[in-house]
Amino acid sequence: MAIMMPAPDQAVLDRRTAIIKALRAIVPGEGVIDSAAEMLPYESDGLMAYRQPPMVVVLPDTTEQVSKVLKYCFEQGIKVVPRGSGTSLSGGALPLADAVLLGLGKFNRIREIDFDNRAVVTEPGVTNLAISQAVAHAGFYYAPDPSSQIACSIGGNVAENSGGVHCLKYGMTTNNVLGCEIVLMTGEILRIGGKCAESTGYDLMGIITGSEGLLGVITEITVRILQKPETARAMMVGFAQVEAAGECVARIIGAGIIPGGMEMMDKPAIHAAEAFVRAGYPLDVEALLIIELDGPGVEVDELIKRVETIAQACGSTFCQISNSELERNLFWAGRKAAFPAVGRISPDYLCMDGTIPRGALPKALARIRELSQKYDLRVANVFHAGDGNLHPLILYDANRPGEMERAEAFGADILRACVELGGVLTGEHGVGIEKRDLMGEMFSEIDLNQQQRVKCAFDAQGLLNPGKVFPTLHRCAELGRMHVHGGKLAFPELPRF
Amino acid sequence: MNPDAAIWHDLLSPPLWGRGGEGGVTRSGVRGLGIVDILKVRDAKDVEQAVRAAIAGEQPLEIIGHGSKRLIGQPMTTNAVLDLSALNAVRSYEPNELIITIEAAAPLNDVKSLIDSKNQQLAFEPIDTAPLLGGPASGTIGGTIASGLAGPRRIQAGGGRDHLLGAHAVSGFGDSFKTGGKVVKNVTGYDVCKLLAGSWGTLAVMTELTLKVVPKPERERTLVLRGLDDAAANKAMTAALGSPFDVSAAAHVPKSAFRGASGALGQLGSPQHAVTLLRLEGITASATHRAAALARALSPFGAAEIVEDGTSAATWACVRDVEPFAAKGALGAWPVWRIVCPPAAGGAVGERLARDTGGDVIYDWGGGLIWAALPPKPDAQAALVRTRAEAAGGHAMLLRASEEVRRNVDVFHPPKTGVAALSERLRQSFDPRNILNRGRMTRA
Repeated sequence: MAIMMPAPDQAVLDRRTAIIKALRAIVPGEGVIDSAAEMLPYESDGLMAYRQPPMVVVLPDTTEQVSKVLKYCFEQGIKVVPRGSGTSLSGGALPLADAVLLGLGKFNRIREIDFDNRAVVTEPGVTNLAISQAVAHAGFYYAPDPSSQIACSIGGNVAENSGGVHCLKYGMTTNNVLGCEIVLMTGEILRIGGKCAESTGYDLMGIITGSEGLLGVITEITVRILQKPETARAMMVGFAQVEAAGECVARIIGAGIIPGGMEMMDKPAIHAAEAFVRAGYPLDVEALLIIELDGPGVEVDELIKRVETIAQACGSTFCQISNSELERNLFWAGRKAAFPAVGRISPDYLCMDGTIPRGALPKALARIRELSQKYDLRVANVFHAGDGNLHPLILYDANRPGEMERAEAFGADILRACVELGGVLTGEHGVGIEKRDLMGEMFSEIDLNQQQRVKCAFDAQGLLNPGKVFPTLHRCAELGRMHVHGGKLAFPELPRF
Repeated sequence: MNPDAAIWHDLLSPPLWGRGGEGGVTRSGVRGLGIVDILKVRDAKDVEQAVRAAIAGEQPLEIIGHGSKRLIGQPMTTNAVLDLSALNAVRSYEPNELIITIEAAAPLNDVKSLIDSKNQQLAFEPIDTAPLLGGPASGTIGGTIASGLAGPRRIQAGGGRDHLLGAHAVSGFGDSFKTGGKVVKNVTGYDVCKLLAGSWGTLAVMTELTLKVVPKPERERTLVLRGLDDAAANKAMTAALGSPFDVSAAAHVPKSAFRGASGALGQLGSPQHAVTLLRLEGITASATHRAAALARALSPFGAAEIVEDGTSAATWACVRDVEPFAAKGALGAWPVWRIVCPPAAGGAVGERLARDTGGDVIYDWGGGLIWAALPPKPDAQAALVRTRAEAAGGHAMLLRASEEVRRNVDVFHPPKTGVAALSERLRQSFDPRNILNRGRMTRA
């Protein structure tokens, strides 16, 4: 592994049998898994290059059990890694050899649908799509729609602050959750927020969302639901140059139009997707925009005209507008299947997730092209163009010695370029282990210390999901101390991994 | 150097007043029982110095921009004011990126004018507290975000917390740190911006903020329904917000609240006629279409009148700023509560509260926000208000009351024990010596 994880605690591993027995007393029957064969599915998440069998897997199905498991682990000094559906692309749910893997898959019920307050109360293991399906009969849906929405859990969405193609207009997870029940590492159960638009005091829901399973284990979530727009239509617009497509995106936003979704694919991604899905994508363009306008029919028709005019002014060479739901879904099918499509043309690929200011898109693409030559690896680019979120897919073959390391170095250089261009390391996939060691590119030691003090307020022993997000582990007592900086590292002697 | 400010001279090295410009320390006047030192800073480095001096001197700081919201919160006992008003520059504004980066004390109204010139706006429609509190100033962008008081469009676009993308701030350790970024989509590290928004300056001193801005809608239409009681109005608003017509604001002003109403809102209703308001925004064709369609859908609640553009905007500004309860108006002397509850429960909570206290209420957010002006009592009827709010799954903040009342009442709704303890641990993780706005959010 290129990325080092905290060294396992031998004293904990030596007590494995006793620990499993104690956990069985809390979660009876099949809820505790300790055989190597049965733990296999839990060895990795969506970042499949990294695998690690956990010490034991526990699958509780009540908040009470979660609380008791955490309390036991807290008292015994045992690390815990929470896991939803295991679709994280950044290794957020990667097990540790000496940690309990706490799976929330059995929390799979929707508890309450409240149309009057436009809220759904759900358990964390329910999939993102299942929430929309449960309220669809009344015309409602849950807006954030990560591409993995058929599989990813809403608990994982909260942990990662997931986005999706529609978050340009409707926001990320953090803009669509109202409250939760969370169990702290000590076993303490807290209720945060509810069906109100905002809660009293500090915005705890806000800090929990996107905390990557480091602050607590969520056992219930209240999300807000929206009424579906009356209509939605998608357009495919092709360009002979990527720069022209980037200019088109900027001008659409500049004209005051916020589409429901605005996606871009470059030539390699277009070809891979078209070969896989046959969505009718033009193969002779360098960049393709898929733009969705939603709202009342009169609005959508008018905005499509405006976007078409802008696209023509930017030199578009291809434009097709969906005339049916079937056609609209087909336009999207290629984009939504872009990752597996790329998976068909390469034995392995690495999916990156930087965000840049929209205006920096041509520069970012030029840099990616240079790096592709430097590392001698192919790359296909898909973007959430509307919000500047890049997903370069780096193609490699893990069976060729050194190629995975090269792909990782290539990916790290792309993310460094994103930061240099005024952007950030991750737009929606999370830091996890994947970008952990790059955090210093964006944040100073002081910035990171403040974030880690937040962690201390929730988990003073650092037992919950350690080794993720932060490149250096600090003890809370040290972080809380007042000291003189003078621009120096506060604790140069601490190990970095 | 002002010799009276000797305590800061010893503590600040180099001293703030030694470097020219408009920064400095003044000992200006008497507040409460003591003398107040005002530390006027010019940049983030000055803020660091001032906070470090305050730590060394064990002197808590009150943080102000324009001081427009000083009358909100528990009364503080600090004798030193950290004056950020000189941090008022616009660092960058990129309309095509939908972001603006500004220093914390940039005047809210200037920022609004600037982005308005590019046909953009702050979608959370921040409340101007000046009419309600009776002060002259509308405040700064930093104070707007730190107080997190969002207006009518919160139901559609979210609050200040949803629009703060990044910040530079100085913690109670005296360290500058940054959080978030300058792009609209970012999950790198914890979302500390969420904590800073709505923290009333108790966690860190924000020095620079990056905010998301959005295009201004081309047109707005407001449906006006007349004569509904609170329960029926709550139902009408619930129906509207559950429709596909993308309602951007839903408010109800009961008839008795019109005794204090003037301006555009006062023109629409009267002490004999309640009004229920539903706003639709967008391009002309869309706003017109949706207004007509929503009027049809709501026909069981009566015939709707449609108010357009300028008149609509002026009306919503009155709702946003709670104009019927304005300090200069008929109910100016009454304490004002801000109750947040599940929207469909609002009508019942507000109606009962008004009836039992003889007070007045106004509903925003489709019933999810109740402004309640209650006849004055020493405790502002806190126990009653909070019991009712909690029973509905909500909470209540005493937004306006005399200093004496605020001394005796929890201004912010006290959270449950576990949440309160976690919140206190979080506060300490930013400000262990309790230097920043000590005691503003929690009563000693």
